[in-house]
Amino acid sequence: MAFDDPSAALDVAVAAGAFEGLRRAVRDLGPTGTIATVAASGLRGRGGAGYPTGEKWRTAALTDAPRRYVVANGYGADPGSLTDRAMIEADPFLVIEGLAIAAIAIGATEAVVAVRASETEAVRRLEGVISAAEEAGFLGPDLLGSGHDLSVTVRPVQGAYMLGEETVLLNALEGRRGQPEQRPPHPAERGLFGMPTVVQNVQTLAAVPFIVREGAEAFTRIGARGAPGTILVQVRGAEREGVAEVPLGTPLREVVALGGEPGRGRTLKAVVVGGPSGGLLPPELLDTPYEFGALRAVGAHIGSGSVIAADDRACMLDLARLLTGFCATEACGKTIPCRIGTRRLVEIADRIVDGRPRPTDLQLLADLSADIVASALCDHERLATLPLTTGMRYFRSELDDHLLRSSCPAGVCRPIAVGAGSAR
Amino acid sequence: MSFIPGLGIVKGMALTLRRFFEPKATIRYPEVPADVSPKFRGRLQLLYDEWGTLKCETCFQCAQACPIECIDMGGIDTKGRYHVHWGPPEQYGERREESALRRSGRTVPDKAYEHFEPIDTDRVEAILEDHDHDPKRMLQILEAVQAELGWLPVAALKHISFRTGAYYALIYGTASYYRHLRLDPPGDAVQGRAFDAARPAESTYLSGLGAALEGRGAAVGGGAAGSAVH
Repeated sequence: MAFDDPSAALDVAVAAGAFEGLRRAVRDLGPTGTIATVAASGLRGRGGAGYPTGEKWRTAALTDAPRRYVVANGYGADPGSLTDRAMIEADPFLVIEGLAIAAIAIGATEAVVAVRASETEAVRRLEGVISAAEEAGFLGPDLLGSGHDLSVTVRPVQGAYMLGEETVLLNALEGRRGQPEQRPPHPAERGLFGMPTVVQNVQTLAAVPFIVREGAEAFTRIGARGAPGTILVQVRGAEREGVAEVPLGTPLREVVALGGEPGRGRTLKAVVVGGPSGGLLPPELLDTPYEFGALRAVGAHIGSGSVIAADDRACMLDLARLLTGFCATEACGKTIPCRIGTRRLVEIADRIVDGRPRPTDLQLLADLSADIVASALCDHERLATLPLTTGMRYFRSELDDHLLRSSCPAGVCRPIAVGAGSAR
Repeated sequence: MSFIPGLGIVKGMALTLRRFFEPKATIRYPEVPADVSPKFRGRLQLLYDEWGTLKCETCFQCAQACPIECIDMGGIDTKGRYHVHWGPPEQYGERREESALRRSGRTVPDKAYEHFEPIDTDRVEAILEDHDHDPKRMLQILEAVQAELGWLPVAALKHISFRTGAYYALIYGTASYYRHLRLDPPGDAVQGRAFDAARPAESTYLSGLGAALEGRGAAVGGGAAGSAVH
């Protein structure tokens, strides 16, 4: 699609059925009907946590407040995943339409689209599309003759990984330090500037027009039970890397296969599901459906939608240490378990990689991870333990090689010192 | 005051005797829980770690949480350069100094600006005007000021604090959090070292990931996170 002329692009999109859902939400369903439809569809947030969207909207709509906000989270924090950017660039109209439907449903008059400032193309397209939609009367004052005002602004944000987390993003939009807030109250009750705020991933919003247009039942027919619809995945395999749209509930094996087979003489060793805080899953778990609940049950999560295949050249400990290390440096510093705990996790992994593990390290790793999870303020720290805990759970023999036999099966870790394995 | 000799000591002993038969305040502490206010958090104390440095990171979280703003806190920033401090006591501290000088008839130096070059506040003021002096738009203000001046000098932050009414420490907190905001002039070596070493950019992660997947060892040479002192 050519976005150089946004109003022409808008005409093309409208001819193809864009803003049909918004029209239906305004004319036929009304706010409560729209929320009921979205709730009935079982749509769950695509930002990674999978919170039911309809429930969130209902909470925001029922909370008494002078004004409400809708925030579209298109930040896409994981540097290795471009799913949010792909969504915005491919069809900004869909995102804007979903945003408008959400705003109508909960009675919000202001909406914000948060985008990565470095993705200038996405920012440019969104801005063009929003002004074109405002001129055409799909946004702005009295949209589609509904008597409902909606101003949409694009806010390019940058500078921290944590901005992908909803309360962090809200703090950033308020001009504060990007640190998460204690929940409850959830943003749907008290969010941006203390007002009820619905924060949704751009992919979630993009699913909304279809639900409103075609009905909740049509949506539940796609995807898995309990997690209908499709989701964008960023697959990184040996042969190719790219963004794909898959129905939720697709077996992980098929998702991984999109990236191609491992190279000649190589075997698949692990799949990193969920980005920097993702879990390391062994090939035996490739039949796990790619879906919120099933992935959490095996120790991974949807996260940024990133699925990375690692073949037998990679050392699991090395990989887990890299992932945890990234999470540790990107910790915002608000809570001690996260700021210091994740750092200690990395230090333990450092010790093992360097061949000077202490006898208690494995127990310490398990205990510390459990403590971090138990005292976590936001999902970042809760999930930052996943690479190491899943590594311990599924690749225990490889870890034992490091710990007890001072060897690295993949031959990655620094030559391990003689006599290692004893306490230093 | 008394004219009867020894009356004072009788009074004193009477009090002692009265106290003697009153119920005792001593409790069998670990077995019997002490009766303290529900908001009591124990004695405030700054602890030292095993290297002899203060464990307090001057994160201002206790000061932010303190409802009566009784916590006066000062420290140096992560680069060991600027003094940062919190809240109204900051003003009292400076005022105390000032008034002493003023009473002695000497000129009053503005210590807050002493080490920092003065800036052209008109340029900052124009930006603040554009943003209605609204502290809720702090991030946009800071980004605009950085675009104007190239970096965020302390004088500019102080000026923003003065004009928007937001605490300097809050503004400093915002400015120091985001990686694209710089508190040092461009080209200053300190920026490259301190900030990028402590918070490696995403590209470091990506290259490390590539190395890890190809079995070259991401963590060994990658200058990974754990070793960086924050």
